[in-house]
Amino acid sequence: MMSTNNRSLSGSVAPMWRRLRKHLPVEIPGAVTVTLAGAVLATTVAPFRALDWSLWVIYGLLALSFTFVWGRAGIFSFGQTAFFGIGAYAYGVLGIDLFPQTGETTTALAAAVVIAAVVAATLGYFIFYGNVGDVYVSIITLAFTLVLLTFMSSTADPSYHIGQALLGGYNGIVGVPPLMLPGGGQMVSPNGLLFTCIAVAAFVGFGIHLLLRRPFGRILAGLRENELRTELLGYDVRRYKLVAFTVGGAIAGLAGGLFAAWGTSINPSVFSLPQAALVPIWVLVGGRRSLLGAFVGVAIVQGVSDALGGGGGSATPIVLGTLLIAVVLLLPEGVLPTLSTFARRFLPALGRTSVDAGPAGRTDSPVGDSVIGGESRKATSITAVDVHKRFGGVAALAGASLEVAPNGVHCLIGPNGAGKSTFFNMLSGRYRPTSGTVLLGDEQITLRRPDERARRGIGIKLQVPSLYGELTAFENVWLAAYGAKRDIAEADVRAQGALAWLHLSEKAQQPAGELSHGERQWLEIGMVMASDPKVVLLDEPTAGMTREETMRVVELIHDLARTATVIVVEHDMEFVRQLGAPVTMFHEGRIFTSGSIEQLRADERVLDIYLGRGTSHVGS
Amino acid sequence: MTVQPDQLANLTLSLLSSVALLAIISLGLAVLFGMMGVINLAHGEFLMLGAFFTLTGVRHGLNLWVAMVLAALAVGAVGVVVERLLIQHLYGRMPATMLATWGLSLILVQVVVLIYGPASNGIPTPLGSIRIGDYSVSEYSLVLIGAAVLLLGLTYLVLTRTRYGTMARAAVMLPDMAAAVGVDVRRTNMLTFGFGSALAGAGGALLAPITAVVPSMGQTYVGRAFMTVVVGGPGVVAGTASAAGLLGGVNSLVSNLTTSVLGTAALLVVAIVILRFLPTGISGYWERKR
Repeated sequence: MMSTNNRSLSGSVAPMWRRLRKHLPVEIPGAVTVTLAGAVLATTVAPFRALDWSLWVIYGLLALSFTFVWGRAGIFSFGQTAFFGIGAYAYGVLGIDLFPQTGETTTALAAAVVIAAVVAATLGYFIFYGNVGDVYVSIITLAFTLVLLTFMSSTADPSYHIGQALLGGYNGIVGVPPLMLPGGGQMVSPNGLLFTCIAVAAFVGFGIHLLLRRPFGRILAGLRENELRTELLGYDVRRYKLVAFTVGGAIAGLAGGLFAAWGTSINPSVFSLPQAALVPIWVLVGGRRSLLGAFVGVAIVQGVSDALGGGGGSATPIVLGTLLIAVVLLLPEGVLPTLSTFARRFLPALGRTSVDAGPAGRTDSPVGDSVIGGESRKATSITAVDVHKRFGGVAALAGASLEVAPNGVHCLIGPNGAGKSTFFNMLSGRYRPTSGTVLLGDEQITLRRPDERARRGIGIKLQVPSLYGELTAFENVWLAAYGAKRDIAEADVRAQGALAWLHLSEKAQQPAGELSHGERQWLEIGMVMASDPKVVLLDEPTAGMTREETMRVVELIHDLARTATVIVVEHDMEFVRQLGAPVTMFHEGRIFTSGSIEQLRADERVLDIYLGRGTSHVGS
Repeated sequence: MTVQPDQLANLTLSLLSSVALLAIISLGLAVLFGMMGVINLAHGEFLMLGAFFTLTGVRHGLNLWVAMVLAALAVGAVGVVVERLLIQHLYGRMPATMLATWGLSLILVQVVVLIYGPASNGIPTPLGSIRIGDYSVSEYSLVLIGAAVLLLGLTYLVLTRTRYGTMARAAVMLPDMAAAVGVDVRRTNMLTFGFGSALAGAGGALLAPITAVVPSMGQTYVGRAFMTVVVGGPGVVAGTASAAGLLGGVNSLVSNLTTSVLGTAALLVVAIVILRFLPTGISGYWERKR
């Protein structure tokens, strides 16, 4: 991106500049620079070119909204076209109705943004708060778009009008006023329109860049990579998705409003599938993560398409369709990213924008009572009272009660099917009990969602490694720390402390997916530690580890237990013995017995259960 | 206002044909989605192909009903080719599948435009109409209702009562395990895709006499088909039947009371509200309840 780096200036000028710079994001000079360049460009090109290029910039904005929603937040939404169309219709209707009174259309444009955002937020609420799966999000947004197409196409009757604006069925709304600025009532010239579009796109683009540089961007990346993990770190996934979806809808609505002003008409074909298909084509060509790529993709695709004979060329859909299939089959990362991997060696600036790489060289982590630095919350007890859980006809838990006192380690064992995993999920919030209560300290958390429990201080490590493979080790622990602390500086300190604790500091900037199996398991324990938990739940933390790696985990768990209550579900008796912690054994959905591992080993009945002897039958 | 028996019968019939229409246009999509997890964005174009194949058959002097069956089989064959060339490389990559089938849909529309031209073609609606009291009902709408029941029943039998159906469900649930016990997963997936495509073709063939047969006709139906499948959930037959019943009922009632535009809007609103409370659709909810 065009992020101007004025770090070199700050040394020579007074501290005042430094303070100013701290509050003045680099995006603002960037946006101003692009706007000025746009002014130069707009005054020099021929008007017909200016009109063409305005359209490209408008399409670029639409593509940018899709890059943001899909490439960054991981929501595959067809709705961008719908919000584009809604923005266009809103501008058309309000432009016609308001222009005679106000003599300008900027109000209509602003209203188009707001209306598109409100529709996106409403649809997004139903989608994300209904916990609809990813697949369904795509289908619902697609169906929404197509139903709008049907709906708007069938409004040909003159009775369908809003104020003076006839909706017009297939022909749409005609006579939409072009962009008129307040004051003169002077129509903006083609060159002026190009300038306006570039300026708007520059500020929106750099605004998105700024938004993504904040923790929000890193959280969105986490959401995209691993939704469950993000939830378990205490982020309300639904809310972040809704915000991203709404912002995307607002940008698409803005592009739509400009589109209606550009063409002075609007018809239902904006909701059609061929039109909607262009959006992912642009983004796939430009690279689905790159903000600048959205605009480059439009320029390439529209340029090629114009060269082929414009929209009227009968072969255009075939070429576009083939392009779409070819990109998906051959270059799944997109066209430009594939090219830029070659170019990056020579032009490092072409790389995709990333969130700030983290604090540089800050090693003075204050020594607190936690092994990773920073202040710790106090460990609390966790209690389950008479918890039942039925899956259909199967009672996985039939009245399990357990109180684990603050601090220290506590192990849960039992043969397969004994109910210990169900119990674990009941504590983590993944399942809701059929009856019974769960308490964290004195607080009822029986019906709390996992992210709410995480914010209250429950740290969870699932059995299956659950990391952000594409994010760096540092970003992984940082997200954990920020989820608990909601403070950038503190999260930086804790994340570095956690990596040092794990002896992974040298690998801080490596993608977590490239770490070894053992390192990934440790990193996850580090994430739990970074989130400053009061209670830690670990599900089989040593699965698949070598002997030495397991020994390291024993140490890590003892460190964790200094500031938190640790509950470990484990199969490996040797590991349980090394932890030297009290053990509770599950059997047939109930607590069977508790004691030290030696006591349990001496218990004949425990052996019977594990070996399937005697009266009790053991599940698979 | 008192409701006359003939008025009631007419309303019931119009409601049933609205439900039948939704079931017919959605079933093929539901098979591909429920059985294979594939979202076929070219579904509308498969419907369109079914209609055009029927049109071609009739123009070459075939009996309409024969042309319809052949059209369904032909679209099934198209589906098999598409699966071999495209879909088999993309299993498990949801957005990629959608993008690729989207590209396919653009190509199919344009190819049909190049062959038949963009103008509308039509097949006259066969059969006559019957009178119920003061109302006249087209007999073809009764055919549609019967066809919907027949296709749903056929799908149910194929998926649950045949060797292929068992293998297909196994190949979907645990592909590795199915392969390990001797199911040819590649072949099974190909057949399932062909079966779903043939159902879409049958849907298009049945639409041909009651709609303008144009290359862009797929778009008119595909939105409602997707809504029906989403609301129905992963259970192919039960989901399609229940969702078509619900959405078709709402659509028909609101359309009859107000206008068809509001009927479409009501369908959309009801579908979205249902998903807020049953995120995995009606059949997904039943499965969880059981």
